[in-house]
Amino acid sequence: MIRFKPGNLRVPRFQRPVYVVAAGTTDYRKHYPERKLEELTMMAFKMLLEENDLKADPLETKGLINMAVYGEFADHFQDQLLCEAKVHDYLGLDPLPNIGIKTGGATGGYSVLVGANSIASGYSNCTLVMGWERMDEVDTRTGNFYISTAACKDFETRLARMYASYYAPMARRFAHVFKVKEEIRAAIAVKNKGYALMSPFGHGGKKLTVEEVLAGRIACDPLHMDECCLMSVGSAAMLLCDEDTAYKLSDHPMRLNICGGTHTLRVADRRNLEVPLLPNETPGMYDWMEKKLNEPYPGFQSFLASRFAAYMAYRMAGVWGDPCDELDLVELHDAFTISDLQTYGDIGLRPYGKEEEYITSGDAYYGGRCPSNLSGGLLGTMHAVGATGVFQGVECFWQLQGKYDKFHGDPGMWERYGKKKPKDWQSLQIPKRRRALWISHAGVGSHVTCGILTNPREVKG
Amino acid sequence: MPKSKTRNPKSKTLPEIQFTGVPMKVERTEPAMVIEWPRSLVHHHTYGLLSPFFEGLKQGVLRATHCTTPGCEKGYWLPPRADCPDCHARMEWHEFRNPVVGEVFTFTHVEYPGHGIEISYPYYQIDVKIPGCCTVMKGYLVRGKAKIGMKVKARFRKKDPTNTILDLYWEPAD
Repeated sequence: MIRFKPGNLRVPRFQRPVYVVAAGTTDYRKHYPERKLEELTMMAFKMLLEENDLKADPLETKGLINMAVYGEFADHFQDQLLCEAKVHDYLGLDPLPNIGIKTGGATGGYSVLVGANSIASGYSNCTLVMGWERMDEVDTRTGNFYISTAACKDFETRLARMYASYYAPMARRFAHVFKVKEEIRAAIAVKNKGYALMSPFGHGGKKLTVEEVLAGRIACDPLHMDECCLMSVGSAAMLLCDEDTAYKLSDHPMRLNICGGTHTLRVADRRNLEVPLLPNETPGMYDWMEKKLNEPYPGFQSFLASRFAAYMAYRMAGVWGDPCDELDLVELHDAFTISDLQTYGDIGLRPYGKEEEYITSGDAYYGGRCPSNLSGGLLGTMHAVGATGVFQGVECFWQLQGKYDKFHGDPGMWERYGKKKPKDWQSLQIPKRRRALWISHAGVGSHVTCGILTNPREVKG
Repeated sequence: MPKSKTRNPKSKTLPEIQFTGVPMKVERTEPAMVIEWPRSLVHHHTYGLLSPFFEGLKQGVLRATHCTTPGCEKGYWLPPRADCPDCHARMEWHEFRNPVVGEVFTFTHVEYPGHGIEISYPYYQIDVKIPGCCTVMKGYLVRGKAKIGMKVKARFRKKDPTNTILDLYWEPAD
């Protein structure tokens, strides 16, 4: 039993406000032989400097950067140690300091967290955060094996060499405990792959029905292939600044709060714990879980790391009410449909045990109370692991700035990546633009960050 | 591996450096030049203080660890760990008496494993709750169909052991 002491539960507080000022990305592909990795990072960097309506010209903006934080999931994929040095030099940022971050699927999120701390502490006034992954040097099954080495190599990896096999037991237990039908998971795949069709950056958009998802090939039962994320190549970037620099560069920066959480690498080692309550939850509301169901928390059905990160981030960002009312967009780590579904309870989009209502109520859809993964997510648009947690934040940032159409609807953006804008393209620009949240998530919940962007024009304080 | 030609001690010129590797195969030239880059590596991996666990599997014994410090987790750790995460004391070994019977907590039917899979597939990967343990151990079922709540019995690959966790597997207990 983990016992929190008061010091463990101190809510993080930045010493000064941190803002996101600009963002950039490449498109994402299963195979990207046209560009070397550092050439891809340059694409994302140039978009960040040149296409965000900044008040300074690109090189003047670059001249404000004090440090860089780089996210890369696995050296296995790049087959290049110290890739950070190669990229940093290629971007022309030497001799500024840079640091590499590696926290599995949450690498992007933790890169943003470290970047934010560099601003908050005063070390830097302007920090570049960039993530990437080149997953096409090996075939898909070898890629799956590489990823499975992010399970415990002594006790888990050999049992499948496939990450879906570590999520599938959670899907089965979740369905068993909360009596959730597989159609709910399939609906998540349909939704996110559908939204990906609106993204010029994606490579897994598909028009699907629930029936088609469930009739598809199984990866690891009960997870179907369409319930599993993409394996991508690409890079994403974000520019973080202190308040003075932010407004020097932009009329419309977004305030950033971000917190992290962790839990065991092996689901096997999770011990029973009292549920840490989100600000809008009440003591005793989860007593039924242990008393009626005799089910441990977080067990195989929830992610303590996500709950802990949200517990902190809501308090840090002042999200005191129902998250569905206070957030206008969430971008979740839908590496598998089940991880998406589990997260709804962890971050309070619904109370634990009622996760499926977030889908069935329509809240999760465009036009709903708090839509999720309008970017297309990891299921539909991209999962270039080190870039993912940055890319999700990038999408939130542009949404809050009201620039979804600029980056997704311009035919030139589609042509840039050799694509044609679909005739039935539809804007997914959110109408209310107060706050957006994104979750970056690793392992079977080993590392998670919860980032919250707040629009200063809409939310005071 | 070819070596540089032996240098004549009286010669004043240095021998020309030779390429001693294997040329990379060009896979494609469009839209960019892509080469095949083979990798073959051997790691020397230690089981450290958990060696008794893996030795135990070869002897047909399942071993777990537990902490004897008052107030710490009472259950057995399986997978074992040498040091208690709560008080940091060195844990003690516990040997389960055979037959070790557990219950399937959850499972998956693996139909699409990753590269290098060492067991035939499809197969059931199971998470087993063993009485007395504070953890849920992952393993695989060698016969039968998995179901939540089913009783399973531990088996060990004593003959031709793999010296990995695959030496522990499960079969229906009835």
